[in-house]
Parts: sequence; C-alpha cells; structure tokens
Amino acid sequence: MTVSTDSPETIADERHLHGLNARMLSDVDLSVTDAFGLRNTGVHSAPPSHESVALPVPATLLVDAEGRVLWLDLSENYQQRSDPAVVLAAMEAHFDTL
Amino acid sequence: MAAGMKTGTKLGLLACLLAVATVMLWFYLTRQVSLPDDRSLFVVAFLAAAALGVLAFVKGTSLPGALPPLVAIVIGLFLPFTISISKQTVETDRVIAVGDVIPRFSALDGQGATFNSDALHGHLVLIKFFRAHW
Repeated sequence: MTVSTDSPETIADERHLHGLNARMLSDVDLSVTDAFGLRNTGVHSAPPSHESVALPVPATLLVDAEGRVLWLDLSENYQQRSDPAVVLAAMEAHFDTL
Repeated sequence: MAAGMKTGTKLGLLACLLAVATVMLWFYLTRQVSLPDDRSLFVVAFLAAAALGVLAFVKGTSLPGALPPLVAIVIGLFLPFTISISKQTVETDRVIAVGDVIPRFSALDGQGATFNSDALHGHLVLIKFFRAHW
C-alpha cells in the first residue's frame, strides 16, 4: 500500500507509469502522514503547482496482522526512496518468520 | 555571422544549450519515473554548464550574448543546490517507531473511494510513504 500527496485523479492518471498493483492512497492534506509523524518539516522540492503544502519523508513500514510496526525505514534525503534490496531483506526477515 | 561572434558569446550559447538539454532530460526522466539512482552525471553536467557560463563572462560577451550564459548559470546551479539542501527533518517526538501500533486513518484511493485502515487488520502490510508521482 502506498501513501502520497497525489490527488486521487493524479493517482488514476499516473499509476500506469510504475505499474504498481498496490492500493495507492491520496493524502493531499497530509492527515495520514501527520498521524504517522512523517511530515517533512524541512525544505521540500514540490513544484509550485503541486496541491499539498508539504511532503512526507519517504518511508517504508512493515506492519503485522495486529497493526504493530515490525520494521521502519526513513530516508534521510527526500530525493531518495528506500532501497528495494533493503526492503526485500526486511520483508524476508520479518514476514517469513510469522 | 557566427565567425563574428565573441568567444564568450559562443561559450555562453554552448553553456545554455548544455543546461537546457540536461534539464529537459531530467524532467523527461522524472515524468517517466525513471531517474537513475546515481545522479552524479547530472550534477556534473549541470555544474559544467554553470562553469561554462562563468567562463563565457570571463572571456567577454556582447550585451545580448550575456543572456544565454546567465540562464546556464541559474539552471546549472539549481540541481546541485537542491541536492545540497535536501536533508529531511521530522519532528522526532511524533514519528512512528518499531513496536508502535499504527494510527487509524482513512483516505481516498485512486478511484476516489474511501479506504479505512481497519481493513488492514489481520494482514501483513507494507506501507510506503512517498512524496508524489514526480
């Protein structure tokens, strides 16, 4: 599942670009981002036309069936996302043992 | 006519061409969600355009010829500048941590339907936060 500041319309228009089958949620007002404490309060790179006033820190979480966070990766640089190899290793470590 | 141009003016045009071509490629790849992870070549190209722009002024340009190197310098410094200030800041006392139960939330999906986080219960989930499609 993904959460980004794209509007539902943008998600519908752009999702073919990355071919993700995941559920993609729109968080233009950052309410979900704020609930997780992931709003980037530093400088951000959104173009002036972008709908939201701020951006989340790129983050990846693994969550168990009870809703507990098993693993968390925060990116230190907003131009970078979690390394897929790191995420896959974490999934193997945490999900395969359950 | 090109033969009559000052060396600085020619260098300025070259600098501007490099800067504009690089920035166009950057935004094209951004649009295609296929920017490479290693962006050092982009930084080199942008800095080279800016440096050529400065060199153009050092060599001397005509008055209208000053515009292309100026454009090259502004564009050329943009990406290295954004990279240099791109450190993240979160309010550390609020950020979710390993062992926490995730907050309940609802949000619209790509079809405009409301998704409620209660539906995640009983499932292993990977949640990815990212800024936007660009």
